[in-house]
Amino acid sequence: MKLSIFRFNPETDEKPYMQDYEIAPVPTDLMLLDVLLRLKAQDDSLTFRKSCREGVCGSDGMNINGRNGLACITPMKGLKYPVELRPLPSFPVIRDLVVDMTQFFKQYHSIKPYLINNDPTPERERLQSPEDREKLNGLYECILCGCCTSQCPSSWWNPDKFVGPAGLLQAYRFIIDSRDQATQERLDDLNDPYRLFRCRSIMNCTEVCPKDLAPSRAIEKIRLMMVKDSL
Amino acid sequence: MLFFILFLLVHFLISPPDSYQAWHGWMRNSGISVAASVFFAALLLHAWVGIRDVLMDYVHPPALRVSALALLLFSLLAIAAWVMRILLMGPG
Amino acid sequence: MMAKPKRRRPVFFNLLQIQMPVGAVTSITHRATGIVLALCIPFGVYLLDLSLRDQQSFAQVARLFDHWTFRIAVVVSVWALAHHSLAGIRHLLSDIDVGSQLPAARRSAWIVNFGGAAVALLAAGVLL
Repeated sequence: MKLSIFRFNPETDEKPYMQDYEIAPVPTDLMLLDVLLRLKAQDDSLTFRKSCREGVCGSDGMNINGRNGLACITPMKGLKYPVELRPLPSFPVIRDLVVDMTQFFKQYHSIKPYLINNDPTPERERLQSPEDREKLNGLYECILCGCCTSQCPSSWWNPDKFVGPAGLLQAYRFIIDSRDQATQERLDDLNDPYRLFRCRSIMNCTEVCPKDLAPSRAIEKIRLMMVKDSL
Repeated sequence: MLFFILFLLVHFLISPPDSYQAWHGWMRNSGISVAASVFFAALLLHAWVGIRDVLMDYVHPPALRVSALALLLFSLLAIAAWVMRILLMGPG
Repeated sequence: MMAKPKRRRPVFFNLLQIQMPVGAVTSITHRATGIVLALCIPFGVYLLDLSLRDQQSFAQVARLFDHWTFRIAVVVSVWALAHHSLAGIRHLLSDIDVGSQLPAARRSAWIVNFGGAAVALLAAGVLL
């Protein structure tokens, strides 16, 4: 099978280029990452991030045949050949498929991704009703792989000002958490022409999310809360 | 806005204005000219919001953006004045 | 200590190599048609002005429809208007939480894209 992979070594390469690889399939090639690891054994200069190899750590986000996804949970079956692998679009490339996620995490941190609660810390934990806990489903699962934000046109044009789908999904995760007391501050912080309102509901984020989450829904719900707020 | 466009469409399909007198008289009908004024106000406002958003997305240097927005505002106001002249004053 | 040389950081950003889901196509077409329609405004106002001026000018405007280039321009603007309106309605519905789940959004995006084209074909059938 054939793969075509984006290569760039900052020490030696003036410009990135695509390198073709040909490798004989073996029965254990279930996921794209399996093949990448075997390629790496052939050519140890090939660089990519990986860790848990089961879609939990969010390290191996990359652009697979034009669509962002995690190599470790992308089945080889059904991929079009040659498989074209490129780094996450619009993120600066450090080397080959490894990108610089500084900006992405800066946006993530800007939404204060932690519980804000000024009540005295209880003996054991802050309790939550099962119904309130239910509201966090579909939000807390985000692994911050960057697939959504890197495929989002609004983030392409304003990566420094628009929080992006990943950050906004997490913003909503804390906004609706019954234990959080900073709901109003969080809404006010996002009520800005750029931070939230660059979203045009294109829904590329939800299309590509490898965890099947829906950042676009979360953004929509934040918007609705803002509307209710202003009434 | 959409309703006015659909109304125009249906009207033109049923009775296309085949003479200047018919067209002119129809447009001078006060109901139509009020509707047309509302339509143009909504249309130009919508153009302002839409193009402003496009400029906010793609034009980043502040000086360039402010000039582009100013140019846009000026053009839209000029068009608004022109439309008002057409609808309210008439050709005389 | 020596200053670190500035690293070169290329960016992969080739829009032709990034897949655009159907919703993205609808969205960018909504934007493009919006710009086209905005550019149509001055021409439309000019034609309105001309058509109301006097008998000759009205005839002049009416005669424009004899030119096939003008007819094509009209068909293109009808397509732009149809697509922009349909996508606009889709947007409003999704704002009030109708069809904002992915499968429904995909379906409505296809409907908008084909609906716009269908209206354009209809206009072409009438005018060309």
